[in-house]
Amino acid sequence: MRRTARLLAGTALAVAAAAPAHAAGSGRLDVYPSTVAPGGQVSVNTAVCGDSGAATGDAGAVGAGQFTLAPSTHEGEAIGQFRVPPSAQPGTYEIVARCAEGDRQVTGDLVVALSAAYEQVQPRGSVKTGVGGGLGPDPVQTAAGVAALAVAAAGGTWLLHRRARGDGI
Amino acid sequence: MRSSSRLGDTAIAAVTVVALGSGVWLLGGGAVSHAPPQPAAAEGRFDPGDERGAAPALPPSPPVRIRIPAIRVNAPLTGLALTRAGNLDAPPAKEKNLAGWYEAGTTPGETGTAIVAGHVDNTEGPAVFYDLGALKRGARIEVDRRDGTVAVFTVDAVEVYSARNFPDEKVYGAAPRPELRVITCGGGYSRTTGYQGNVVVFAHLTGSR
Repeated sequence: MRRTARLLAGTALAVAAAAPAHAAGSGRLDVYPSTVAPGGQVSVNTAVCGDSGAATGDAGAVGAGQFTLAPSTHEGEAIGQFRVPPSAQPGTYEIVARCAEGDRQVTGDLVVALSAAYEQVQPRGSVKTGVGGGLGPDPVQTAAGVAALAVAAAGGTWLLHRRARGDGI
Repeated sequence: MRSSSRLGDTAIAAVTVVALGSGVWLLGGGAVSHAPPQPAAAEGRFDPGDERGAAPALPPSPPVRIRIPAIRVNAPLTGLALTRAGNLDAPPAKEKNLAGWYEAGTTPGETGTAIVAGHVDNTEGPAVFYDLGALKRGARIEVDRRDGTVAVFTVDAVEVYSARNFPDEKVYGAAPRPELRVITCGGGYSRTTGYQGNVVVFAHLTGSR
């Protein structure tokens, strides 16, 4: 009972300590893919460093050391890459990036999963990508239809005319 | 004289009936026509071992835009997930110039099979991949990626598969080199069940910049 209480208090403290740090971070570090097998390559990007802001990345937690985030052409984001060591153990690791200018810092989580456990789920079957709204009437077919109806009208008129004159059919 | 005139009347009556029938059938859309283009048989022929210009894989980076100059496609990409049944979901139908990519899979340019899908049409008319079936082997597909690089793919084959007998492994299966699939609706069309299958474009990475 007492042990539980202490544990709870500890958790509360940890949450209280973590919360302000998170709030001060403002902005985040996108990690892609967010789940990777040991030996895999990872891209990270962030927009917090401004339009031409480079940054220094730290993937030391997962054993990949430091790397550079260079400004890219895409929406003023700084982008960097690193490789997870083949010896990395499964777990969740924090990746950090610090802007070259100012003291802003962002973090993101990377999950390392054993390749056996982490398998990409493949889609299956067909994809519903149409409803038939693009199937218009063919202009040639429409013209042929109109012509056929015109012939029918002419024929009908002729026959009715003959009947009215009493020539009969 | 009288009998020949009677014969003429019968002929005119027959022509009138046939013309009326075919006119109604043609205008009523008895035959669905003016459908999106479908690939010719020659486009489906794979050239196994064709490694011409195969380019080294790029690091993973999410795609943001797809361009297929031969059929004037230039569209942003949105992330796609799977439906509950395990099929790839389609992008929102009402945006006609929007394609999607399978977010939980391989990114275009990375080793493996990246998947892009888009609508052939919506209720308003033709959509982003209306002309996909007209694409030819050797055509170029470019994918802009978030890291600022452009992955350039070359079309290997264009095929149509029935939804009822879809070759999952051939279309979605893992590849040992960077490959791309571009998928839209195609095949026959039925008023009750819609398109009967998918047009699938197979391409592999041949460059980047």
